[in-house]
Amino acid sequence: MVTRKQVLFLLLFVLFIAEGTILPLLIPSGWQLRISANLVYVVILFIAVYHHRHTALVLGIFFGLLHDVVFYGEMIGPYGFAMGLSAYMMGLIFQAPRAPLPVMVTVVILGSLLNDTMLFFLYKLFRLNHVTFDWALLEYMIPNLFIHFVFALIIYTPLRKQLERIGKRKSKVQEAS
Amino acid sequence: MFELFKLLGNKRLFVLLVGLVTFIALMGFTLGPRTALSWPEKFLKDSVGFVQYVFYKPASAVAGFFKDVANMRAVYQENEELRIAMGHYTRDRLKYNEMEKTNDRYKDLLQFTAEQRNRYNYEYRIAQVISANSDPNSRTINIDIGENADIKPGMAVTSQEGLVGVISHVSAYTSTVNLLTSMDANDPNSNAIAATAVGKEDTVFGMIESFDPKTGMFKMTKISEESDIKKGDEIISSGIINNFPKYMRIGEVKKIEVGEYGLTRTATIEPYASFLDWKELMVVIPPEVKE
Repeated sequence: MVTRKQVLFLLLFVLFIAEGTILPLLIPSGWQLRISANLVYVVILFIAVYHHRHTALVLGIFFGLLHDVVFYGEMIGPYGFAMGLSAYMMGLIFQAPRAPLPVMVTVVILGSLLNDTMLFFLYKLFRLNHVTFDWALLEYMIPNLFIHFVFALIIYTPLRKQLERIGKRKSKVQEAS
Repeated sequence: MFELFKLLGNKRLFVLLVGLVTFIALMGFTLGPRTALSWPEKFLKDSVGFVQYVFYKPASAVAGFFKDVANMRAVYQENEELRIAMGHYTRDRLKYNEMEKTNDRYKDLLQFTAEQRNRYNYEYRIAQVISANSDPNSRTINIDIGENADIKPGMAVTSQEGLVGVISHVSAYTSTVNLLTSMDANDPNSNAIAATAVGKEDTVFGMIESFDPKTGMFKMTKISEESDIKKGDEIISSGIINNFPKYMRIGEVKKIEVGEYGLTRTATIEPYASFLDWKELMVVIPPEVKE
């Protein structure tokens, strides 16, 4: 299959669209102001661990900038920067094609905390948010963690299988050449 | 250059630093008021906006259906209330028509200019929400009309309940609304809204300056000590500064305190708009001013 990668990329784009349109409608009203799930980022973390951190960096910057431009409220750049760099850093530390489920879940939890913290301080740097960090942590970062955790458990098996197939093909090509 | 690489030890750190500087520069450049977007931004916004529209419409219809089923019981009560409101409306309409005519006649007598006459004749354009950004640092939503419907940055956006936000950026077929929840007194981008209370337009004046995400309330400052603002007053925009439209419902007064320096008062205002479950919104288009 030549098109597996492209199909995965398209699915990631669909996930990005769903995140902005369908997800806010699924979340109960009482929680809508507290949950800001970044599902695309969870998938990018999987790519960082099971595939390669450079792919994750490029995808993180691409989807982050897409998010920034489409939802251009204050400025362009914070998502591209935070998603790219944090995915790259998680890949640098944890990249292991055979990482078991507990490791992956830890990566998702640490990674989304890192991403949210980076975003928080980027907005703080430009004086665009005015809440304290501990309040933000309790108000939305930790609820987000749970959503990301559950989403990671759901996509773990199918996504890992696909990424391993892509990895195998790559190594075959390398052997042949 | 080569020595610099050696000095840094490896290329990775250098790339990281360049990336950091580029992104900070990008953020600094795009921060603040920009009159128009560049074409790549417009293209991305419009094409992604179209896909989002295709997704949002059926999803919101399905979600709305389930919500309606869940709220079946409340519908009866709502119907009762609406019937009473309808009765009030028909009675007031007769009075209003007569008063408007008298008012027009006086304006004729006083020789109002066309600009003065049409100052508050706002046009309301219905827009469909196509996506919502749930990022707590800067909450925005996208709507499905843009330059094609003469939308410009700075226009007010309102829902049926009350004022929701201000248009921040416009592309050809979509525009982004910056919600009032990101409003703050220290923010260079957000302007305060001049506000007054219904029925007390001559005595109450204040500025809606910031939104407190912790309590979900607006803060209205600079209210004079002599004003007779009370708990439960309906706060609307007064339209006296920044060309911000008049008669936008904002919220209800919950609490009044003595202000920072003891000379003014500060009111806490609960917004009418819920900032949840987006469907249709209205963009307020001011009458064109001839230069």
